[in-house]
Amino acid sequence: MAKLGRYLLAPVLAALMGTAAYAQTMTDVGTPRAETLIVQTFDGKASNPDAQNPLNQFTLWRGLRELGWGWLWEMDTSTGVSYPELADGMPEVLNDEYTKFRIKIRPGVYWSDGVEFTVDDILYTLDTSFKYKDKLTFVFRANGYIKEASWTKIDDYTFEVETQQPAYDFNTVMGVYTWGSLFIIVPKHIFEPLGADVVTFKNAPAVTLGPYKIKEFDPNGFWQLWEKREDWQRSAWGNLGEPKPKYVLYKDFGAEETRTLAFVQNQYDIDTFMSPDSIAAAQARNPAIETFSKTLPYHDMNDACSWGVYINQQKAPFDQPEVRWALALALDLQTVGITSVSGQFKPGALPLADTPITGPMFYDPLNDFLNNLTLADGYKPFNPNFGPELIEKLKTQGVPADQLPSGDAIKAGFGAGWWKYDLAQSEKLLASVGIKKGADGFYTKADGSPWPIELTIPADWNKVLQRIGFSIADSWRKAGFNVTARQVDGGEWNTVQQTNGRNELQVNWATTCVYNANWTNTWSALNPDNVKPFDSTEPLNGNYLRVTDPAIFDLVEKSRSLEIGSDPFMANGREIATKLVEGMQVINLMNIPTTIPTNNTYWTNYSKADNFYAAPYSWWSSFKKTIVNIQPTGKQ
Amino acid sequence: MGVLQYVAKRLGQYFAVLFVGLTITFLIPRLLPTNPIDGYIGQIQARANGALSGNDIALLRANLEELYGLKGDVLTQYLSFLKRVIFQFDFGPSFTYYPQPVSQIVFTALPYTIGLLMVSTLIAWFLGNVVGLVAGYFHTKRAASILEVVGIMLYPIPYYILAVTVILVLSYLIPIFPLAPSFPVGQMTLQKAGMIIYNSLLPAITLILAGFGWNILSMKALAVATTEEPYVTYSRLKGATNWTRMTGYVFRNAMLPQVTALALSLGTVFSGALLTEMLFSYPGIGLILRTAASSADYNVLYGAITISIIAVATAGLVIDLIYPLLDPRIRHR
Repeated sequence: MAKLGRYLLAPVLAALMGTAAYAQTMTDVGTPRAETLIVQTFDGKASNPDAQNPLNQFTLWRGLRELGWGWLWEMDTSTGVSYPELADGMPEVLNDEYTKFRIKIRPGVYWSDGVEFTVDDILYTLDTSFKYKDKLTFVFRANGYIKEASWTKIDDYTFEVETQQPAYDFNTVMGVYTWGSLFIIVPKHIFEPLGADVVTFKNAPAVTLGPYKIKEFDPNGFWQLWEKREDWQRSAWGNLGEPKPKYVLYKDFGAEETRTLAFVQNQYDIDTFMSPDSIAAAQARNPAIETFSKTLPYHDMNDACSWGVYINQQKAPFDQPEVRWALALALDLQTVGITSVSGQFKPGALPLADTPITGPMFYDPLNDFLNNLTLADGYKPFNPNFGPELIEKLKTQGVPADQLPSGDAIKAGFGAGWWKYDLAQSEKLLASVGIKKGADGFYTKADGSPWPIELTIPADWNKVLQRIGFSIADSWRKAGFNVTARQVDGGEWNTVQQTNGRNELQVNWATTCVYNANWTNTWSALNPDNVKPFDSTEPLNGNYLRVTDPAIFDLVEKSRSLEIGSDPFMANGREIATKLVEGMQVINLMNIPTTIPTNNTYWTNYSKADNFYAAPYSWWSSFKKTIVNIQPTGKQ
Repeated sequence: MGVLQYVAKRLGQYFAVLFVGLTITFLIPRLLPTNPIDGYIGQIQARANGALSGNDIALLRANLEELYGLKGDVLTQYLSFLKRVIFQFDFGPSFTYYPQPVSQIVFTALPYTIGLLMVSTLIAWFLGNVVGLVAGYFHTKRAASILEVVGIMLYPIPYYILAVTVILVLSYLIPIFPLAPSFPVGQMTLQKAGMIIYNSLLPAITLILAGFGWNILSMKALAVATTEEPYVTYSRLKGATNWTRMTGYVFRNAMLPQVTALALSLGTVFSGALLTEMLFSYPGIGLILRTAASSADYNVLYGAITISIIAVATAGLVIDLIYPLLDPRIRHR
């Protein structure tokens, strides 16, 4: 019997192992592994893989933004400066009000089905966006920005258009600001014959402008395979150089446990948001796996947004700056960062990320402001030695010295400083508004009643921020604040974010997203229309910081008619930042630590700290820079 | 009670259960602390970096209410829901993935869920019951204790630990099964069908192992008790063989509660296996349900849960109808 079993089992096992061995050189979608760049998807599995019509909600994280669509203007994410992609130069401004523009596009660009891309495609997209605006769910940006029926075709490669308001940000609204644009051009020759059916058209597989075309996609939403076009040179960004991989596979490798194992087995090349623990485990088993930087904080810290604690500033007692400052000074961010992300973070005291792009625009000019900042009682809250102190703590915890930055690299790695951890000052500030500790050791309200505080944090859909949130709550509880961290799913998260009535404190990033000189892109939502009562369930429409300060509103309004990047414009942005800090209107925490480990087995020359040519994110449209810069290792 | 009366009564209960189930299904998602429109606006507002004006958002909100069918009071929405579901079996579009119809989302995933869970549930039930029967019938023998130990060892292992262990052993240490397999697309061929089966083997093995232990233990307990029944002793005294006594007397009587458990397990197959899908990158309805719950995608929740309710209720009905065939005592009542 045993012999029979062996006879039966042997061929089955041989076949199975043969398949496994075969998969070492061919991917399981049938492409040569050496010619395929494999990327973990941003969102895991997609539930709408065949939704590829960008006029509606489409399957966002399968490479369409990075490899498929073409943009009028793209963002150089190494400098924060726009450059023309489909456009032939920057928009020409036709009036003093900055509302009329002439745009030229590059001739010789073709859709993936061989039809030439012209102005007709752009104008059809605008036409359709307005014509069916009550039926389409992804055209809101153009509708709110462009003046209806204002566009005119000059010739096949030139058109003119008007905006509803002065539009100094024309190229970053109609083009890319950070990760992509909300204005996505569709092929007229595919869409127009459908008439009114465009509102339900799925457009799968999409005809695209990038140098890749969709070869296949999984109807179950796990993967999408792109193949380089033979005519890639006449694609939207064929002028950047030849894309290196013949195939790009976006695929979900499942839960972090299986992803880590698959990464160790060299099954894919770029991961997304793997936790620091899993990265360390994978690196221990596969030396080809690398983080963004060889020294702490290891990961890319140049995301457009920063994490902060967003406060319902209208709700007592958070309406008092003393209370908000007391919270900031009672937060032991060094311990929070060490316990939740192993010290792999870069703090920022201003309400925006501290990156090589925003540093010279905001952090460097405001360094004196931070150092000299004085509270009403004469106390100086800023700690410029936050970074060096953190390094000392990490040393005592056994982190090898060669993995810690030194000299100028400390500021680059761990920022220019953060707030002091000073419980005595925190207590003093609270006492000044009548808040004292009760018999249970927790602070009570000024009237002596209990003061339970709710901190909303993400559930496991954002594991790193979830851990940070728990750690913050722990730090505050130790300081005497009766804080409970409440983890919520993504849907409820949005409701808490959008309404005053549901929020006390929330760790968030949505309005601390100043990426470059164009700070209005995120702070334009700070206006009086978006102020609601403290218990309102009405949507805040972007004012998630719950700002009520008329001086800030005034600065935002004045800046609408200033050229982006001009001195007065930047001065206004910096003044808003200082006002937000002076009132501690948001407790900005840190840059978002973006963990994107790469695997050098099949591809190399990824964008890294010591070889930085673009944001290394595989889910930003600037991923195209990675596509043209990586090199095959030759491993088959 | 006549057969027709019996069947009519059961059918009446069946439709009552469906109606109550549909009503609860309609109400529960609306108690979620999440609003699908807020969710969508939050997403796009984030993508616009907060740059949408209040007017843009108000317009979008009004459009979405119309498109999602959320205009009007809850009673009107409820009646419209019943009408659409009962007469057209139409759950409308997904909110999160508008205008994707719910039926498409659900029915793309359902064959994978049913294929994997149905087969693994049946195999686990069959193997577990056979082993449990032998262990129970021969409970005085040492070999039977060993079989029981298998059940005792497997049953308490948390599914997550079991699954990760199976993955580690069979996909990493001895990599005979793929980690995160890609399921083939396009027109089905014999080779693609083979690929799907091969890719499904690892989750199936895990599910069988997970279900196997409980079936062993429960059948063993039933078999031990049944073996002691006077009619089994009587059959032994009449000279019936071990095989006949075990299968014809012990198994036939012990299987009744097991069949009920099987039917209910098969009914719950339709709600998917979330952990399995997440750990094995397996397509199915579990992950869809989870995403829909977190984003308050009412229509997807309605679609997936309604199918599950129908499946469980139908399984109960089928069991009620075939029970008299399995147990003559019920026929005579």
